[in-house]
Parts: sequence; C-alpha cells; structure tokens
Amino acid sequence: MNYHEMEMRAVYAGTLNGLMDENPHVICLEADLGKSSGTVPEVREKHPDNFIECGVCEANMIGIAAGLAKEGKIPFCASFTSFASRRAYDQVSISVGFANNNVKIVGTAPGITNGPNGGTHICFQDLAIMRAMPNMHVYSPCDVYELRSILRFMVKEKQPTYMQLIRVKVGKILDTNYRFNPEKAVILREGSDVTLVSTGYMTQFAYKVANELSSGGISVDLLHYPSVKPFDAETLIQSAKKTGAVVAVENQNIIGGLGGAVCEVLSENYPTRVKRLGIPDRFGEVASEQYFFDKYGFGPEHIARACRDMMKNKVKGNSA
Amino acid sequence: MGKERFDRKKFDRLAQEIRYITTDMICRYGQGHLGGSVDLAEIVITLYYRIMNIRPADPQWGERDRLVLSKGHCGPILYTILAYKGFFPKSWLATLNMDGTRLPSHVDQNQTPGVDITAGSLGQGLSCACGIALAGKMNRKNYRTFCIIGDGESNEGQIWEAALFASHNRLDNLLVICDYNKLQIDGFTEDVLGLEPLTEKWHSFGWEVFEMDGHNWDDIYRKIHKAMTVKGKPSMIIAHTIKCKGNRLLENKPECHYIRVPDKDTYRKIMDGLVYKDVQLPY
Repeated sequence: MNYHEMEMRAVYAGTLNGLMDENPHVICLEADLGKSSGTVPEVREKHPDNFIECGVCEANMIGIAAGLAKEGKIPFCASFTSFASRRAYDQVSISVGFANNNVKIVGTAPGITNGPNGGTHICFQDLAIMRAMPNMHVYSPCDVYELRSILRFMVKEKQPTYMQLIRVKVGKILDTNYRFNPEKAVILREGSDVTLVSTGYMTQFAYKVANELSSGGISVDLLHYPSVKPFDAETLIQSAKKTGAVVAVENQNIIGGLGGAVCEVLSENYPTRVKRLGIPDRFGEVASEQYFFDKYGFGPEHIARACRDMMKNKVKGNSA
Repeated sequence: MGKERFDRKKFDRLAQEIRYITTDMICRYGQGHLGGSVDLAEIVITLYYRIMNIRPADPQWGERDRLVLSKGHCGPILYTILAYKGFFPKSWLATLNMDGTRLPSHVDQNQTPGVDITAGSLGQGLSCACGIALAGKMNRKNYRTFCIIGDGESNEGQIWEAALFASHNRLDNLLVICDYNKLQIDGFTEDVLGLEPLTEKWHSFGWEVFEMDGHNWDDIYRKIHKAMTVKGKPSMIIAHTIKCKGNRLLENKPECHYIRVPDKDTYRKIMDGLVYKDVQLPY
C-alpha cells in the first residue's frame, strides 16, 4: 500500500511510534478512544510504557498531560474534537494554555467526518475556540504527508498545540518532500482570478475544484492553511491584492474559524469581498458528507459556484 | 536548605507569624481568600520545614519534592512560606495582587519561584499532580508529589476522575491532603453538597486514607510520615481544620472564605481578631 493510501489515523499511530523510537519522552494518552484515533493497538502494543489509558475522563487526561509536560514529557492527548476541545475547554485553557505547558491535543474526526455519530459528537467550533486561546497553536493537516510533518514539528517545538486529525483516508495532495511551516500558507495552485482559501479536510475538495476551474479558464489562487494560528496574513493579503475576490471553505462553523481569520486579516489590511463557506452556525446531525454539503452549500460544486460568482461580481480596485 | 528539627516553641511562633503576615497581605490589598489560606499554616510549615526536599536557591532542582496547591486560591499562605524559605525576597509579599505582581491570588507556575503548577480553576491541580507523580515513576525519580485539595474543591468531578486514575496507576509517590475545614463559599459543606462519608469515599476509590488534626504538629508529622511509607497506592490524608484558625473574629465563619476590607476600621478589626499580634512585618 502506498503511504498516501493509508488512513490518517494509521499515519498518526505510525508516526507516534517512530517519534517514540527517537525520543522516549513522547507519550500517547487516550480517553478510551484509542481504537478510534488509531493508537490502539498500534502504539499501546509497540510502546506500552509510553501509552497512558485515562479512561473516559477527558478533563483528567488534560491535567495528567499538563503534569507530564511540566516534567519534560511530550504528551499527545487524543479524543473526538467535541471532547478534546469543547468538553475539556477550561482544563485546556488553564492547565495547558494559561500555564503554557507543552501539551499536544489531538481532536479526531473533525466536523462532518463524524457524521455517523451525529450532533452530540460533531464539533464545528474547535478551530474557533482553540484559535481564541492565548498561547495555543492550531493546526489542521490536509493529508498524510502534512500530518506526519506536523507531528514531527509538534515534538520539536515546546508549545501548547491543538491539531485536528481526520481519521479516514484522504486523497494525496502533498508529497514526501513536504515540510510544515506554521508561518506559511501552502500555495497549492497559483492563479489571478479568485483566491480560494481552505484548511484540513476541505483542502482536498478545494484542490480538485481549483484544478477543474483552471482547466475551464478560471485561474484560482489556492491557499491551504495547515496552521490556522499562527495565521500567515501576508500570503493572503498578497493574493487578495492580485485577485480581488476571496472564497474561504472549511469543515467548521463559518463563525470564528478559518473564514473568520481571513475576514479579520483582510478587513484590517486590504478590505476585500469574502465568501465564507462551511456550516452556517448550526449544530451537527447524523448525516452523510454529501447531505451536509448539499444542505449547507460547501461541497465541490458549491465551492466552484462561489468562485465563479465572486469572480463575476468582483469590485475592481479594492480600497487599500 | 536542610530540614529543620522540631522545636514546638519556635514552630508555634512561626505559625503565628505566617498567619499574621498572610492576613496583613490580604487586608492590605483589600480583599482575598483568607480562611482557607491561614487554616493551612501548620500543614504547609510541616511540609516545607520538616518533610520536603527542596532547594530554594534552585526552585527547579530536578530531585525536589513537588507541591501542587490545587486549591490555588490559597496562594497567599504558600507565598509567605516560600518567602520565609528563601525562594524570593520577603519584600515581595507586600505586592500580593498588586498590578504587575509575581504573587497573584491564584498560584501561577510561570510567576512565582517555588510554585510547581498553576491552579485555581478547581479540580485541575490534582490531575496535574497525578501527571507529575506519573512522570516521576517514568523518569525513575525519587521525588514525591504532594498535593493539597479543598473540601469545597472536592465537589468537582475532576477530583474523582483523578482519584480513579491515581489508584489505577498505583501512584504511591502521590500524597494528597484534603483541607477539610467543612466550609465553602455558600456555607457549610454538608449543607452545600455533602461529602460524607469522605473517608470511606476515598477508601473505596482505592486510596490509603488517614485522618489528622490539621493544627496538631505531632499528628501532622506522624500521619504524613506514615503515608509516605504506603506502597502500591496513593495516600489521602483528610486534615480536620478550622477555617481561619487563629482569628477569633472569623474562625469557622462562612464569611471568612473571602474577606473584603473596605476601610481601616475593618482592617483593624480583622487584625485584632488574631490571637497573636506582636509580629514585625517583613516589608
């Protein structure tokens, strides 16, 4: 099997195992969702001394990790995005963010990828609430190569971090030479008609749309943001100056996440019309990906339409 | 700095001073968590003067014993002890809660030398203490992790998550003291949210449980020492204390949890309530 054909969670577990081989201080914590995040049995069997099962106690898991981090360990705590962010938000805020402890929080099955579990387990606001936390670094890798590179980076950098982890297979976008840089957006395609901004799970769709539009005569500047915080403002501003029209798409509530970051940057630096695609301030429900795309209008055809509309309605000579 | 030999007269005097200064610091600022701070005097003095391995000149010394004040709002008494032990100058004590201070109302690991874990959002410190104790085992270090929790704090579900975790992982290098003064903000603990039978609860969670008189030097020392010999499970010492001990005006009164000192008269009344008064302020 090619590397990019692996499930993202298998890459998560495999990369953690590799990192533990190199650095015995890397620790994997689970709150009874190890099978879901891929570390059970892979990490638990290969590195039993570096694997800590916390049981269904997400709040406690974050505190345990903070204590471990204070003593020089590099703990990775995984749970569904809903529990890793929403449920344990105060623990993450105080024991990790405020205390600035070197804890890595991994939110699995982000947004609509948790469709079968429905509204209780789907979280559309983890990027927004984690982004609003001082000291927190917020990443959302788009494929296996980026995931691996981000995990390596997380071990190297001593800082609180939240990372979304898609569990399933994702199409190949990057390659084995890719190196994650949180300060830089990844320009997946250069274009001049419209800027398309994406992160995490939606980047594979944005990539496909950008390629199709480009072959149809619409030149798309496609910016993928593996790091939503820190946020590379400069690349976005330069792109907006070039295209004058921006579409942002994310597997999140359109309030406060990637689209929010795009609007904050542009409104303060280079006011440009922005169309945000994603979840329009709704909770989740048991549903398929296609159902979510159609209901809220952020699937590939909607992204393509938004790019065309934004291009058509472009206001030339944006103020700046 | 070495541990000190017990001298009852000297330690009694020390407890008086610590209470007096901590009360003055809080009153000087005009408000603060008094009752739960000063009731810890004998316990914290025993830990820092007779039990714990520490090097005040090297607060991050790897072999030191750790102390997590999970009831983080009681920072003021910890600061007084830390200053007395030489972690920072006693003059800092006058800056409690002042703008730009390094002594915030709730303990902060990034502000104050000697504070091992940031705490204040109740319940979180005990989980962190479990992580520190677990790291000690992983790193094959001999340090011990002490943690002080509150009885009101024990309402938090996270305390009981940590209780499960510590016994499941046999953290016998973790020693927790519950400051059981039987009062919390809204009243007596048994009226707000009953904890009894508290000893049985901890016992049923798989901990070795002791009870002690939290103001009796001999009992405190003996029980902590005994708890330190426990193997294969964590220890809980339920310390029976009197909230705001040593202040006749406020002892065992619900309002002593957080006092407000709007004027000099109130300040004087509170200071007059202290049993011992002839203390020279070090700032």
